[in-house]
Amino acid sequence: MLAAASKTRHEVAKVEELPSGSSKIIQAGRREIGVFNVNGTYRAVLNICPHELAPVCKGHVKGTNVPSQPGEYKWGLEGEVLQCPWHGWEFNLNDGKSLHEPHRCHLRTFETEVSEGMVYVLV
Amino acid sequence: MPASVLEAHAKPETRKAIRCVDCDIHQFGPGKSDMLKHLPKAWHERYGTGAGTGHLGFHNPVGVTRRDCVSADGKHGAASPKGLAEHLLDPYEIDIGILTGGVYNMGVHPDPDYADAVCSAYNAAVLETWIPEDDRLRFALSISTRDAALTAKEIRRHAGHPKVVAAIAGSACTSPLGQRQFLPIMEACEETGLPLMLHPGAEGTGICPPPTACGYPTRYLEWHTDIIQSFQTHVVSLVCEGVFQKFPKLKVVLVEGGISWLVPLMWRFDKNWKALRSTVPWLDRKPSEVIQEHFLLTTQPIEEPDNHEHLIQLFNMFDAKNMLMFASDFPHWDGDTPNFALRGFPDEFKQRVKAQNAIDLFRLQSESPLRNAKS
Repeated sequence: MLAAASKTRHEVAKVEELPSGSSKIIQAGRREIGVFNVNGTYRAVLNICPHELAPVCKGHVKGTNVPSQPGEYKWGLEGEVLQCPWHGWEFNLNDGKSLHEPHRCHLRTFETEVSEGMVYVLV
Repeated sequence: MPASVLEAHAKPETRKAIRCVDCDIHQFGPGKSDMLKHLPKAWHERYGTGAGTGHLGFHNPVGVTRRDCVSADGKHGAASPKGLAEHLLDPYEIDIGILTGGVYNMGVHPDPDYADAVCSAYNAAVLETWIPEDDRLRFALSISTRDAALTAKEIRRHAGHPKVVAAIAGSACTSPLGQRQFLPIMEACEETGLPLMLHPGAEGTGICPPPTACGYPTRYLEWHTDIIQSFQTHVVSLVCEGVFQKFPKLKVVLVEGGISWLVPLMWRFDKNWKALRSTVPWLDRKPSEVIQEHFLLTTQPIEEPDNHEHLIQLFNMFDAKNMLMFASDFPHWDGDTPNFALRGFPDEFKQRVKAQNAIDLFRLQSESPLRNAKS
């Protein structure tokens, strides 16, 4: 892939250092990137909330009430939602999209890969 | 001694221009032991039980306080003057920060004596434990609206303190604030030159009426959206009751109620006044003129319409340039940073809102002392 070929690989952590539910913020060049082990899959997002530029990766990872009918509450996305520590905006770590306006508000996401026991983010 | 005299004695080399004033900072504390030190023994047992005005049971899943600003010692950024410096004043280059605390629920506590005692202890404790620790800090006295005569005394007691720049009351109140039982508070504020700040938060608790005109909503989202109803009621009441005819130098600051509701209220108010003027014959000019002369608003929580241009247009519909003052509301979940709140506005507007309006209103000196917190 052309795009992938031009990307730089940044070391995040050894696989055993990043168990499911954990995360790590790394410096990748001039960017801060948060890498999250979301139920066994590594997700990487830029540590900037599109709202007021807060360090979003310092927020809680949690589940949430997913869209439902009036009067009905459906808990879902357990361990897959990153909530910004400033204003509480929720982002789905699987695709970076916000829960409130997924079509227009999202985090910047990055690819990850695992090679020889090491987690990397591709920038 | 007036603030101007004291500050004039500060060493000239330690001064700099005030470029940013934060009008709403919610420090944690004072702690319980500092409160008890200033609270008469008669109230200790009650205070010890946490006797406040109760909790409505609303839930904010974000948490009311920001979780990311914790210092190396594990303490929250709002828990000490050093924490405030590290997490707010230094990074956002805030030259003057007004501590607004506070104990807003004391305006709807059933016992006016207890409410007054708590406010007094709180004010004394903040002035003793927080204000001396960082030269950038100023203080808005916390006051209760339960017994206006007691409150007027409390205002006068501290008004000469050089770091006291305002008195702040909860907008949660037993009645519309223009009514005559509250006049001693307005009188004391005008006499001492301290603006009266109003701040939401205790709406619906204690002996407050329901937080909306239609009773209690179901959840925090509704409560938080609706509580500007108390601001609207107080604005209309203060104007209609002729408070500003009685106290022409009085200024009222609406803190943390946002801005966007004001313009349609003024239009509606003016239209009604033209027909119903004879019921308030002392009101010799349009309500909107009185509002723009006597009220100021803090920017937070700044409205965020999809099209930012709409907000800028709104600011052209009233004297926003002279009526708005920046506030962060640190460390709360709906706070703003100076750059975010003021983005997209012309430089002159920004300068007034970020600093000059507050400098004028709170009589801050155009130079401020050293930046650093005392170690």
